Amino acid sequence: MIRRPKRSIAAAVAAGAAALALALTGCSPSAEAGADSRPLRVWAGSATPINNNFNPFNVDTAVHATYGAIYEPLFFFNQLSSEPPVGLLGDSYEYSEDGTVITVTLKPDLEWNDGEPLTAADVAFTFGYGPNKSEDLVSAEAVDDTTVVLSFSKPQFTGASLILGSTWIVPEHVWGEIDDYMAETNPEPVGSGPYMLKSFTEAAYTVTANEHFRDGEPAVKEVQYIGIDSNQSSQDLLATGQLDWVGQFVANPDSVTGNGVISTLNLQQDPTVIVTCSSAELGCTGPQTDPAVRQAINVAIDRSTIREKAFAGLAGEATPTFMLLPRDEGWLSDPTLEVSPQESNAAEASGILEAAGYAKGVDGFYAKDGQTIELDLFSPDGWTDYNDAAKLISEQAAEAGIKITARTVSDADYWTPISAGDFQLAMYGLAASLVADPYSTYSEYFAGTSTAKVGEDPVSGQNYVRYSNPTVDAAIVAAGATQDEATKRDAYATIHAEIVRDLPYIPVVLNASQSFFNTTDFTGWPSEDDLYAAPLPYTSVANAVVLAHLSPAK
Amino acid sequence: MSYYLRRITFYVVTMWAAVSLNFLLPRLLPGDPAKIMIGKLRRANGGRPISQEMIDAITSILGSDEGSMWDQYVAYWGRLLQGDLGVSSTRYPAPVADLIAQALPWTIVLVGVATVISFILGIVVGAWVGWRRGTWLDHLVPITTVFQSIPYFWLALVLVAVFSVNLGLFPIIGGYDFFAFPAGPEWSWAFVGSAVTHAILPATTIVLSSVGGWLLGMRNMMVSTLSEDYVVTAEAKGLTPRRIRTKYAARNAAIPSLAGFGIALGFVVAGSIVMEQVFSYPGIGKLMIQSVQGLDYALMQGVFLVITVTVLAANLFMDVIYGFIDPRARHNG
Repeated sequence: MIRRPKRSIAAAVAAGAAALALALTGCSPSAEAGADSRPLRVWAGSATPINNNFNPFNVDTAVHATYGAIYEPLFFFNQLSSEPPVGLLGDSYEYSEDGTVITVTLKPDLEWNDGEPLTAADVAFTFGYGPNKSEDLVSAEAVDDTTVVLSFSKPQFTGASLILGSTWIVPEHVWGEIDDYMAETNPEPVGSGPYMLKSFTEAAYTVTANEHFRDGEPAVKEVQYIGIDSNQSSQDLLATGQLDWVGQFVANPDSVTGNGVISTLNLQQDPTVIVTCSSAELGCTGPQTDPAVRQAINVAIDRSTIREKAFAGLAGEATPTFMLLPRDEGWLSDPTLEVSPQESNAAEASGILEAAGYAKGVDGFYAKDGQTIELDLFSPDGWTDYNDAAKLISEQAAEAGIKITARTVSDADYWTPISAGDFQLAMYGLAASLVADPYSTYSEYFAGTSTAKVGEDPVSGQNYVRYSNPTVDAAIVAAGATQDEATKRDAYATIHAEIVRDLPYIPVVLNASQSFFNTTDFTGWPSEDDLYAAPLPYTSVANAVVLAHLSPAK
Repeated sequence: MSYYLRRITFYVVTMWAAVSLNFLLPRLLPGDPAKIMIGKLRRANGGRPISQEMIDAITSILGSDEGSMWDQYVAYWGRLLQGDLGVSSTRYPAPVADLIAQALPWTIVLVGVATVISFILGIVVGAWVGWRRGTWLDHLVPITTVFQSIPYFWLALVLVAVFSVNLGLFPIIGGYDFFAFPAGPEWSWAFVGSAVTHAILPATTIVLSSVGGWLLGMRNMMVSTLSEDYVVTAEAKGLTPRRIRTKYAARNAAIPSLAGFGIALGFVVAGSIVMEQVFSYPGIGKLMIQSVQGLDYALMQGVFLVITVTVLAANLFMDVIYGFIDPRARHNG
């Protein structure tokens, strides 16, 4: 606790409502006590009032500490490295030859934070419970206390990160009695992670070291998660030493790190793209259904300017293969595909359009059969980097003779047209695959099975661009059914050739994710040289791996 | 008595219309909440597929749109009369009534006190400025008007940057010090002190940006009242300036402001969206923003309903007061 000797005075004064005297005594900077006696304070992005919800099945509304700090998956797949996963509850796992059976060995003598033993029975229970029950799952059985056998109807070579890396293991003795798992708020979570819930309020909640944690209590005894409604406030709190860990966009990081207490790391992972409703066969309408138009936009935009102006120079260069480089370098089929063109090339854009039968009209815009290329590009209002990027794209395309109108829409107007396919172009963020294998990116965003006709939502997957290409589909199936690297590399080479030509997603930049952390009071943070986990407090599992690595500076 | 009966009938009809409109409005907005939630979920999940069971569960949470519009309308009234405002989808599975109950006290105390302070300050200073018209005091009018016209959030940000970040005098965010009170609100002087400290900057923002209106209105009314015959008569009778100022001029000049004050009090419950956002203050305004952005019908309706009811109640109250203090209202209304 922070000692506040002046509190009683402050209270007395406050009671008398003597505002000025109060102002001088009521709030003092929090650097009074040593770091080892105070909680680590985190803003993971929660707004107030914070939901009192620790149900790991409420993915969208449960609080951040639920994922990793309290509930854990079997293994931790570090998105930033191509190393094999780190065992959390799991010790090792093994695939059967055909990939349909996964045998997982747990670490010995595991316990839940209420002291009950954590055994293979809990893991088997978890895989058969609620939304975890995958359609492909045949059975989940505990062979003995530390061995679980998961059998599937299809090969699961590519599903390891999902099955083993993001299925939250829950105790059977608690969840066995809960039928309506979506309506549960789980206010007293029983998990296996390094922390357990201590206190909860609408403004902040505190987790405390779990004495039953398998590696012993973590060195940082308490972590307080705070609700903040504006990025500016979090920036101010960081700058005044009242917050220790934040992951957010700060255009001018020096303003936060200038005090010498806070360090920063900028990781570039997830591509920002223009999604295009690309397939006329599936019902998309508009000039963007013509690959030539998409190719022309691709070479017409000036990505270096967008990176500098819209993303404050913090974003990275995107690759049209949508892999995370250099992590996935081994899968790159052609070195020229490493980055998308960074400068605009209006002449090339004109060449592409003219070859496809377009001609420049008197208004300076290209047209075909009397139809001027006129495109609508929207982004969610308030996502300023996206909004600015869209404006720049509109200006740059105009110089190349393509008319793109940029506009902003509310969240509601953003998601609905995208999921239903009722759009032309939109700014969008793709998620890089969690492991050093782009399979999930391709199956999730490019496979024909992940899309639906315009007017319908994709049942599974996020192929909102309505991309449907039998060559790509076949290559995705081939890559998913094998562990042989050469076969996989061939399949990915096929996919690369197709998607780089068709451009259903036009890559723009690699999004920056900045993290800020207090390196003066706490040590053990990931660094450029040792990226053992992403230092982002809102990232599942990674956040808990970081917390367990930290210790108070002496 | 028929004056009051007429007013009350009017309010009952208005109430019915407002509640019905409240039912209708969210349904006229574009976008499908289930799609929004699934879209966000997919992003939050980092590409992990969402099981059909999950999608079904989400659709059932947000599937309030079953049956005909009329059936929904009847069901809506039924739930409303039982005090059931539904379950929030953005804050699932928290009941809307609970969310509002938690936010309401903060808003009412902070915005309420700030509104009262701003009104009293505006009236008192306005009366004084009007009384001493033509002197240097007149400069107060443009100064306060400038504060009123400055964008509200900008004023708040400047106050935070100067008084909290640079001088370290005030806290940056929150309704109380959650570092010192990790277990939440409690009944102690220390907590009250913390809450008061945290309220000073937000309240200052509200007062600074609204006092100008009251001041200007009061000053102008004061000036015109001072030229009334009864004031001249009072002066001729040789009454003390103080008596003329307070009992004759200010008292009558304040009547129009009082009506505005009634309406302002009604809107206290709507909170102050910008202030709450800048200071992460746990009030109602924020719930409103969140509900609209997330297409959370239940929360939206709950918040709008509470606002509607309070605005109407405040108006009714002012009508009653007016009936007492101004006989003309009773006869003409």
